[in-house]
Amino acid sequence: MNGRLSFLSAKGRKIEAIYRITLRQQLAYKVDFMLRASFLLLILYVFIQLWSAAYEGDTERLIAGFSLKQIIWYLVFTEALTMASPQLSLRIEEEVKNGDIAIRLIRPLSYLSYHYSSYMAEAVFRFGIHLVVGSFIAWLFVGPPTFGFGWLGLLSLSAGALTIAFLLNGIVAMCAFWIEETRGLEFVLQKLKFTVGGMLLPIDLMPEWLQRICAWLPFQAVLYIPARTAVAYEEVSMLQYFAVQAAWIVVLGIGIWTIYRRGVTRLHVNGG
Amino acid sequence: MIALRTASLCKSFRVKRKMPGLSGSIRSLFRPEWEERTAVSDINLTVHAGETVAFLGPNGAGKSTTIKMLTGILHPTSGNAEVLGFTPWRDRTKLAYRIGTVFGQKSQLWYHLPPMDTFDLISRIYELKQSDYKARRKDLIERFELEPYLHTPVRKLSLGERMRCEIAASFLHRPQLLFLDEPTIGLDVLVKQRIRELIRELNRKEGTTVFLTSHDAGDVEELCTRAVVIHHGGILLDAKVEQLKRDILNRKTITLTLKPDSPSAIQARIAGTEIVSNEGRRMKLSVDLSQTDIDLVLSALVGKFRLEDVTVEDPPLEEIIKHIYGMRTGGAGPESGLEASRQAGAGAGGRRL
Repeated sequence: MNGRLSFLSAKGRKIEAIYRITLRQQLAYKVDFMLRASFLLLILYVFIQLWSAAYEGDTERLIAGFSLKQIIWYLVFTEALTMASPQLSLRIEEEVKNGDIAIRLIRPLSYLSYHYSSYMAEAVFRFGIHLVVGSFIAWLFVGPPTFGFGWLGLLSLSAGALTIAFLLNGIVAMCAFWIEETRGLEFVLQKLKFTVGGMLLPIDLMPEWLQRICAWLPFQAVLYIPARTAVAYEEVSMLQYFAVQAAWIVVLGIGIWTIYRRGVTRLHVNGG
Repeated sequence: MIALRTASLCKSFRVKRKMPGLSGSIRSLFRPEWEERTAVSDINLTVHAGETVAFLGPNGAGKSTTIKMLTGILHPTSGNAEVLGFTPWRDRTKLAYRIGTVFGQKSQLWYHLPPMDTFDLISRIYELKQSDYKARRKDLIERFELEPYLHTPVRKLSLGERMRCEIAASFLHRPQLLFLDEPTIGLDVLVKQRIRELIRELNRKEGTTVFLTSHDAGDVEELCTRAVVIHHGGILLDAKVEQLKRDILNRKTITLTLKPDSPSAIQARIAGTEIVSNEGRRMKLSVDLSQTDIDLVLSALVGKFRLEDVTVEDPPLEEIIKHIYGMRTGGAGPESGLEASRQAGAGAGGRRL
């Protein structure tokens, strides 16, 4: 038991060390952050105009149970989560293509753990920044985010959401062991998150049949679940949401592990 | 003690064969044709602890692929290997604690951060005790003279400075076995010299086994005691570096600079020598030591010419390798006691020189 615990804590320390160094390296990309942040402002501005038109400026009105203020803040949260994801498949594809994967595999650390912790370091950091930037514009147009426990719900469900986003991106990225280009698959994945994941609009606004399909897909656990919890805490069951996320983490985790095990045996590192 | 042992290690992979032109590309889209390429075929090798082994061969001979299998990065197609008691591809992470690996063409340092940050990360990843790590780091910083670069982002370091940091980084966890894949590629002579000294010192002081691939004859001559030459994925020759130089290519190169009033070079015919080049007052001679002795040649030269300068060198290892290829494919060249140590397996690969 003791040995098991010390094994886990050693592993935890490794993951933490990678988390920290990725974060430090991230700080070198200031311009990139500024550009993303200003792009987020632009998108949110456009959506605020759009939804204000849909609600005809009526702040009392509800569409599928959402007020204008809830919809706008919902968008801030889904955008912040979406834009938090680093381009994992591009990175892994590059590593496989140019052979830099060798540098990862000489370490006493699993390849997936390395990428998970470096992904989370970037994602959590970016999520924070985009949340601040997005909050600024939403506050300006639709008022303060008085969501109480909703904030707690958002933050606690975001960890699972980003983990599932990692697993989904990772599964696409693992295809780099078989195919030369994963960009096409990544494109499809991203658009699925935009639509059936509920990024552009809450799933509640979709037709009944589509809602039923979405409930069985992992994409809603990435965006819809944390964002809806934030804006409508009273209406959701946190326990159920945690269970949904946990189930997807297990399923996708087994999936990515299996694909990785098979893929790495086929690896042929290019370049001598 | 045996540091590593391989038995019939093979690695092949499939590549898509594409016909030239657009029509070829389209055809390969619908009916891809695959070609089996052999990168490594039937490598049998035993390295004892504390040895310094050079793994030589032309581009595409399978050197890097072999190192990558021995470090657990690649899975072989067939065959077996045991490194420090582990099967590398099965026990990759367990083995990783005990070996160090440096790829001359890839960096393990974090590009935007100072080397110190990577060192700290490594100390965590290898689960080093912080007090041990700090002492070890201090020692390596002194030996590798890294103090001035420790806090400079890696992207601002020169290649030589970076390479010293890379090798120091791979020594932090006191590996028993060090794999170096082209460690001195692209470095200038002085830096190469320094890096070789450092590796040699670590081998001597800590008994670290060194297994390196290189194109550079100097790496092999100055760092290694044993050379394994591979070609077409198989082992062509396995011998002591000394023996290799003495027996396989028993030639030396003499470079002369003549004084202005010395007799012209054309009259120089000394038994057992051959004029390689002759430009103005500089002349290069190749001496066949099976026909004559170096002191006979030198005294003949002194008798015939008035010399300003003279150097005697061993031929570069590239030439030695070329010579062995010649012997195997054409049957030319001196037969020697090394014949017995050559192994079968050469020529099985799909690659050409």
